[in-house]
Amino acid sequence: MKRRAFLAATAASLLAARARAVDAVPTVDAKQLRGLLDARRGKVVVLNLWATWCAPCLREIPDLMRIEQELGPRGLALVGVSMDEPGDAGRVATFRAKYFPGFRTWLRAGQDLDAIASVVDPAWNEVLPTTYLIGRDGKVVQRVQGAKTHAEFLALIEGAL
Amino acid sequence: MSPARKFAVVSLAILAAPVLAAAAAAPVIVSTPDQRALAPDVAVGPDGEIAMLWLAKGDPNSAAAQAAEAERAKTGHSHQSSMNLYVAVSKDGGATFSAPVHVNHGDDVWGFAVSRPRIAYGPTGTLHVAYPANEQQAKLGKAILMTHYTRSTDGGQTFEAPRRVSTVTDSDLSGVIHGGFASVAAFGTMGVAPDGSVYIAWIDTRNMKADSATGSVYAAVSRDDGRTFATDRMMVADGVCPCCQLSIAFDAQSRPYLGSRSVTGDNLRSSTVAQADGRGGEFGARVPTGGAPWHLNGCPLKPTVLAVRGSTVYTAAHNGAETPPGVMIATSHDGGASFDKPAPVQPGALVSDAPALALTAHGALIAWHAKVDGPRRVYYRALDARGVYAGPVSALTEGDATSQNPALATRKDGRVQIAWQQDDRIYTTAIAAAP
Repeated sequence: MKRRAFLAATAASLLAARARAVDAVPTVDAKQLRGLLDARRGKVVVLNLWATWCAPCLREIPDLMRIEQELGPRGLALVGVSMDEPGDAGRVATFRAKYFPGFRTWLRAGQDLDAIASVVDPAWNEVLPTTYLIGRDGKVVQRVQGAKTHAEFLALIEGAL
Repeated sequence: MSPARKFAVVSLAILAAPVLAAAAAAPVIVSTPDQRALAPDVAVGPDGEIAMLWLAKGDPNSAAAQAAEAERAKTGHSHQSSMNLYVAVSKDGGATFSAPVHVNHGDDVWGFAVSRPRIAYGPTGTLHVAYPANEQQAKLGKAILMTHYTRSTDGGQTFEAPRRVSTVTDSDLSGVIHGGFASVAAFGTMGVAPDGSVYIAWIDTRNMKADSATGSVYAAVSRDDGRTFATDRMMVADGVCPCCQLSIAFDAQSRPYLGSRSVTGDNLRSSTVAQADGRGGEFGARVPTGGAPWHLNGCPLKPTVLAVRGSTVYTAAHNGAETPPGVMIATSHDGGASFDKPAPVQPGALVSDAPALALTAHGALIAWHAKVDGPRRVYYRALDARGVYAGPVSALTEGDATSQNPALATRKDGRVQIAWQQDDRIYTTAIAAAP
């Protein structure tokens, strides 16, 4: 009996470990994104629009994650939104687990990319990466297009903190 | 009601609500209600027939979709985009369209609004289709994107088995984009020259260096109405923005003009036009169409479109460095050697994008989508022979629906056929070219 319980516990633990290895990437529609940002009111939010096929996006994500670690205690929050196809949740999750574990990102829920981006920027032109610096009052302070370095992001964010 | 019957009912429906412009006829929906359709293209044939092409995701709850998902779960194989292509043809000037014909095999199309498949008629009525498709490179065991071609010689009722026109190489850039494709031949274009030559050109990564990330242009050309294609050849060596779809147009001598976006080491991404001799030679120097310098270490996803008459080359492209960012037109009067100062197409818009161009009797017509005071809507405007705006901006659509990604083709009656995506349906109508 003890042996059976041990095996069951081991199997459960292995399954749990596997689940942890590829955490699901939640989807987000425009209303939910608004809610995510409202929930972070009082913090400085870095909202990063990216995609797995956008090589410049992938180069800057580690820097953004590092900055979140460095400046999180001072009130910085990083929110990623993958603009990959809504049906690709599994692939985006695997991709994140492999390359950017811990990256707090969502996947757009609807076909209309513009509807998601319009939550913060009605004039978004579908360029990736696009990063928005959102102040503690919830207002967009700056839109940045194209990949930036750690130092460039730090310089931009410091002024808003 | 059967899908075909449903379609017949819908295709005959006249939808007055979305149209604002008096110069536009009532639109027709060509996609079926069960499709999530996007990225249309349109072509007009030698006898005035109109062919519509669009991408569609099937119904995710359909038996076919469920089977594909089960296979994907079992094998672990995952296309990075899996779509299908459909064609419908009108023989009554766009009043009604045939039931959609499935063009590709399986759900192998890799397509988006910014890498949209292309359709064109040949001078004898052959219908040509080119599109990017998912494949596996057997030797590497990795996913690749190749350019495929098919044609219909019976007016769009049936299509030949699709053929690959790009060459599979051993290039492996999957590490550059973290598990992405090993190689890519996509973001392409297709056109039929007046002499009937079929040009398919695409952006190719086979020469790409991991530290530069700029593409080449390769092309495959058929001189026998699409029966055969010569082995693809390099037409632009490098410096091509790898995610900005190409466009192609021809002068009366069947010389091709290529619209592309260049990228330099400092990430300056400029709209350009280049010309080739029409005998298979490489494109010459790519001439920037001008405007504010757009430096971007990112993916613009912005085509440069063009239309050619004589030595006049009309161009349009989005420039993210302009204020506001939007579509600019620029015209050359010397065969693309130089361009007038670019002019914004809709200065009052928050943003404008996705331009399309077609020749008219005396100039050209441009269509695009823009945001002014609501969702994206489709607009159009006439250009005179000199490439100067010949009238005000006209709104094609209104209301709460998102309308986007127009495509244009010149009709035999002097009007222009326009296709666009409205929410997840494909619409088409004819608009008068004159202001």
